[in-house]
Parts: sequence; structure tokens; C-alpha cells
Amino acid sequence: MKRIILSVSVVITFIILFSSCYYDNEEALYPELNQTCDTTNVTFNGTIVPLLSDYCYSCHSNATAATAGNNIRLEDYADVVSNAVMIRGSIKHTGSYSPMPKNGGMLKACQISQFDAWVSKGMLNN
Amino acid sequence: MKHLLLPVVFIMFTAGLFAQDDTGNTRNNSRKKDIEFTTETFESTRILNGHSIERLDPGQLDFRISHRFGTLNSGAYNFFGLDQSNIHLSLEYGITKWLMAGVGRGNYEKTFDGFTKFSVLRQSKGARVMPVSVSVVTSAAMSTLKWTDPSRTNYFSSRLSYVGQLLIARKFGDFLSLQVTPSYVHRNLVATELDPNDLYSIGVGGRIKLTSMISLNAEYYYLLNPTKYMSQKVYNPLSIGVDIYTGGHTFQLFFTNSQAMIEKGFIGETTGSWAKGDIRFGFNISRIFILHYPK
Repeated sequence: MKRIILSVSVVITFIILFSSCYYDNEEALYPELNQTCDTTNVTFNGTIVPLLSDYCYSCHSNATAATAGNNIRLEDYADVVSNAVMIRGSIKHTGSYSPMPKNGGMLKACQISQFDAWVSKGMLNN
Repeated sequence: MKHLLLPVVFIMFTAGLFAQDDTGNTRNNSRKKDIEFTTETFESTRILNGHSIERLDPGQLDFRISHRFGTLNSGAYNFFGLDQSNIHLSLEYGITKWLMAGVGRGNYEKTFDGFTKFSVLRQSKGARVMPVSVSVVTSAAMSTLKWTDPSRTNYFSSRLSYVGQLLIARKFGDFLSLQVTPSYVHRNLVATELDPNDLYSIGVGGRIKLTSMISLNAEYYYLLNPTKYMSQKVYNPLSIGVDIYTGGHTFQLFFTNSQAMIEKGFIGETTGSWAKGDIRFGFNISRIFILHYPK
């Protein structure tokens, strides 16, 4: 009897779990993300700082870097410039750089190309 | 409709197997003593990353602590990965002789997970000869990462993923055990249209017993979906290591190219490659507490 109750409950749990299956992908679910990637109007204050602030400052702000961020600061313009090669390796998961953001997925391809664009234009403080 | 079909077929399939096992048990009650069930096909409930055919005995509580460190190729500055660590903690319990369940939390995508593992067939000889043991694992995982974009409409379902695995194992004498693990992973939300929501894979794993305390384990999952067009390059996870068994503790020390410790992560999201040196040191520590002895 105990065995029957248990097998029924296992099957029910299974049905409940699978009844909430969805087949979503971010492109179809959020069509506004499909806008073409703007890599021409990339500026430090308009593009790079918001990106860093969304994904990096929880560990790499001036306040948190010493404890959480391996002392790598990404808040001031000069710090970002001197770390740019490392940031590029980290967000692209290439080379021997520690992949970032830590414990999360890679940044969107557009965000990475925007960072690339800013670097290749000479890392202007604009 | 297509979404419903698979679980229904799956349940019918497992229900059929259940029935078989059941009649076998009741009808052969008098002969049950003559059936010699195979035990200790594997040392632990995991081969290395993935589940093994082993279950906990009823009344046993298993506290598992698992770590995967950073990659070896991150260099001496990061102490070859040991400066960075991913952790997974879980509590698992044997409910009956054929059913166990567990809950866990890992820092990979800040995920909570739960699973059940139940036995369908047991390898045996004597009055009933059964060449293999078969178990089923079902699990669900919920990521609790902050939404990357809180301004858009985010759905709770997007956090969930599910796994179904059929474990088929055979112990070839005391020396060698092998397991084949067809697996199904469903992710409710993926990044792009090119990423499949359903992943199918076949795992193979094995153990070679070296001494009474130490065995050599290896495990590999082959992803059947073509990976070429996925938005992120994924590799098949390969893990090689040793089990060290010391009474109530089992230590598993190994090298792997996957970061995650749940099926959804190591089957579908292994971005490290052995060839490129993205190899991580990992360990699982399992401590078993006996809460009550089986009646």
C-alpha cells in the first residue's frame, strides 16, 4: 500500500513539474532586443559606465573591489583604461583571464561588441 | 500538444516497468530470499558529476558538499584555479528501499534544485536473473539570479529547468561497473532561437575498483543536439577522478571541464574545453548520517 501511494505521488509530482514547461527564447519573448546593435555611437559615459554598473560594480566598484573584486577597480576612467585588455578577455572568456561576470552567463554579443568598439576608437573619455 | 506528449510517454513507460517489478515482488515473495541482489555498483550516489545507480538506504541522510574550482589554465596568479570556487550543498534522504530525494543549492546561477531517484529494476542473480539495474532520476532547478533586465516582463517560468534521466548500470564483478545514462534536459527559457529548449544526451560512466577504499571513476556526456549553431560554444563534459571511501565519508576528487554541479548546467552549459586547458579541479564530500535503521 505504502508503495502504491509513493509511486502515485512520484508520478503526480512529475506531471506537475512538466505541466509548466515553456518553450521560450529571449529573442522571441523580448523582440525589442532584436534591434540592430549600435556600435557607432558608443561613449564612455553613455555606454560603458552603464554596462559596468549593471554587471561589474557589485564586486568591482571602488568600495567593493578590495573585498569582493580581487582589488580590480572599474569605477574610474583611468582604472577602466588600464584594465581594458583584461576586461576584454574576461567578458569574451578568452585567454587566461578569469571569465566574467562570475557565476553568470556571458554578456550579450552586442554589449561585447560595444565594448570592443569603444576600445578600438581609442578609449575616449566622453 | 507536442509538449505534453513526451512526459506522458515517459510516465507510461516507467509505469509499465513499475508494474513488472511489482508483480515480480509479490508473486515471488517465497522465493525472494533466493534472489541475490547486486550491491555497491558504485561507491556513492554520484559517479562524479552525474547520478549513479546507487540510492541511499531508507533512513539515511546524506549531506553533500561539492566544489568546482577555477580553470587550471588561469595560471599561477590564481593558484591554478583554486582561488575561485563554485559550491553546491545538498541534503539527500532515503525514503524507501527504492526511492530517494534531495534538495540542494549551488552558486552557479544561484540555483536551487530538487530531485527524486527511484529504482525500477535491480541487477540480481539466483532465483531471478536480471542483467542490469535501472533507475529513473527526475529533477527540477530554479535559478534565482537577478533579472538581467528588470524593466522587461520577466516570467517566473523562465527560471525553471527540468531533467529526466534513465540510469542503466551493470556491475561486472567487484572490479568494474559501467553505466549508460540517456538524459533529457528542458530549459524553459534559452538565449536565442538557435538554442534548443530540449537537450538530449547520452552519458556513460564507469568505475574501476583499485582497492577496498579507492576506485577510479570516469564520466562523459555526449550531447545529441548539434552544438554548432548554439549562441554559446558548449562542450561535452568529461570528468576523471577517484573515489575514496572512509566509513561514513566518501571523498570524490577529480578533474572536469564543467563548472556546474547540476545536470542542467553540466550537460548543456559546459563552456570549458579539455583541449584548451579549461580543466577544473573538483571534489564532492559525502557524509552519511543514519537517522533510523530500516525496519
